[in-house]
Amino acid sequence: MEFISKIFALAVAAIFVQNFVLMRFLGLCPYIGVSKKLDSALGMGMAVIFVMTMASTFTWLIQTYLLIPLKIDFLQTIAFILTIASLVQLVEMIIQKTAPSLHKALGVYLPLITTNCAVLGVAILNINNKLSFIEAILNGLFAGVGFTLVLVLMAGIREKLDKAEIPKAMKGMPIAMIVAGCMALAFLGFSGLKI
Amino acid sequence: MKLISEFSKGFIKENPVFVMALGLCPTLAVTSSVQNAIGMGLAATFVLVCSNLIISIIKKLIPDKIRIPSYIVVIASFVTIVDMVMNAYFPAIHKNLGLFIPLIVVNCIILGRAEAFASKNNVIKSIADGLGMGLGFTLALIVIGGIREVLGAGQFLGHPILPATYKPVLVAILAPGAFIVMGLLMGLMNKFKK
Amino acid sequence: MKYYLRLGIVLLVIAIVSSGILAYINSFTRPIIEENQKRAKAEARKEVLPVATDFDSISFFNDETVYVGVDSIGNQVGYTFVASLYGYSSLVKTMVGLTPELKINKIKIIEQKETPGLGANSEKTEFQEQFSGKNIKELTVDKDGGNIISITGATITTRTVTNSIRSGIEMMTELTGFGIQEDKQEEQE
Repeated sequence: MEFISKIFALAVAAIFVQNFVLMRFLGLCPYIGVSKKLDSALGMGMAVIFVMTMASTFTWLIQTYLLIPLKIDFLQTIAFILTIASLVQLVEMIIQKTAPSLHKALGVYLPLITTNCAVLGVAILNINNKLSFIEAILNGLFAGVGFTLVLVLMAGIREKLDKAEIPKAMKGMPIAMIVAGCMALAFLGFSGLKI
Repeated sequence: MKLISEFSKGFIKENPVFVMALGLCPTLAVTSSVQNAIGMGLAATFVLVCSNLIISIIKKLIPDKIRIPSYIVVIASFVTIVDMVMNAYFPAIHKNLGLFIPLIVVNCIILGRAEAFASKNNVIKSIADGLGMGLGFTLALIVIGGIREVLGAGQFLGHPILPATYKPVLVAILAPGAFIVMGLLMGLMNKFKK
Repeated sequence: MKYYLRLGIVLLVIAIVSSGILAYINSFTRPIIEENQKRAKAEARKEVLPVATDFDSISFFNDETVYVGVDSIGNQVGYTFVASLYGYSSLVKTMVGLTPELKINKIKIIEQKETPGLGANSEKTEFQEQFSGKNIKELTVDKDGGNIISITGATITTRTVTNSIRSGIEMMTELTGFGIQEDKQEEQE
């Protein structure tokens, strides 16, 4: 029972209280870039959840069984980013084979998951916060869910905004930022939440 | 003279943050104070110049298929160097920038310039481009950081510059403030570009 | 096949050269970094227990050494330990100096990445001063019925600091056995 409540606390923290996009500012480029349409946002979100979970798994193992024992933890950045780059290649190949339409929709944004700071960010955060193996995997999973949640919400809002009257200078990026700011304000309300 | 324009385009015309919308994550995260903004900007500029330099030197040796992973290793190495040197000689700033130093690796500006410029141009031009983009990035960070620190804490570089009766708009240095200030600045930029 | 081999080799060469350069730089930055950290902790210890001229390690708590402070003559003049607890958005570490009677002499927050303008204000002197002179029974946040004044808008960070110090003093009570005799006497009366 205690374990379940611990997982729940982890989930609430990663998805709401410390949302990766709106609170930690991780994952912004794809957040702004892919949130224009709902279905590509969802597809991107799923891919990111998968990559973040796998990345958390492998980077934790590499840190614990390779970098620390060999005392080469200064190679952490290089090792982690290469792991992530390989995982993204793998995901891209899988999606190309199993869902070619999704692959086309995501286009150049799929390989860009490599530079999604949320992925490298969660890998490093897992280590910095001294999470256990299971906690790290779950944290990666939930962080991805939080990212997807915010991405989908944003896409929904932007689809509606497209039909609204916005001053020319504010169209596109500026208004997207303001919307993100309002969402961040809303999520700030979770800050008192402690499980 | 072409060299000067390669250098200066990063400041206004092709400013990486305001015009190309690159490098957003660190921009919003470290601009809660001007000091952090300068620290991050200079660190990123260093990495950008070094990686542009190296990549433009070895560009002919790298097979096309593995160019992205190769660039990443080069960039990651310089980021690690910056991380280690900052930790040893500037521990206070290093602590403030925290997670975002290793995240310079995935700063789309650096990979973007490597891919778009350094891989196709000679060494001198690549250095100019890197320097210009990096300083343009730093400039953008300082502008945003300045606005947020003045509004949110009544200070600039830690010195109070607004009268003590000013009640700081706390939200400016929190997450929502970052987005909103950014959005307004981008809108302003758009207005002036017309 | 030969093509893929060439790809692999180029990548490997780049990786090896980079690792080599990094290992070299690491060799001289690592000792400096460790030295900085040690010095910072030593300064923090001196700040929370200024009467001590020397510190002897007596135990471990939260992965940090617990010290007993001695003065120039050799008398034990207090203890230091590091209170540590995860707050709102980061681990909050506090260096705590105790008198021999396990009353707080002074505290100094040595590590935190709480929200700037809110939880980060825990590093302000006014907040930390209020802990001086308190014993374990007085370590409750005002929102929980106690006397520790919380930072506006940062109750979680306040609680974190307070609770982490309290559990630290609990540990010290067990370690030193101080006050346990008196409590037993009180119970018998």
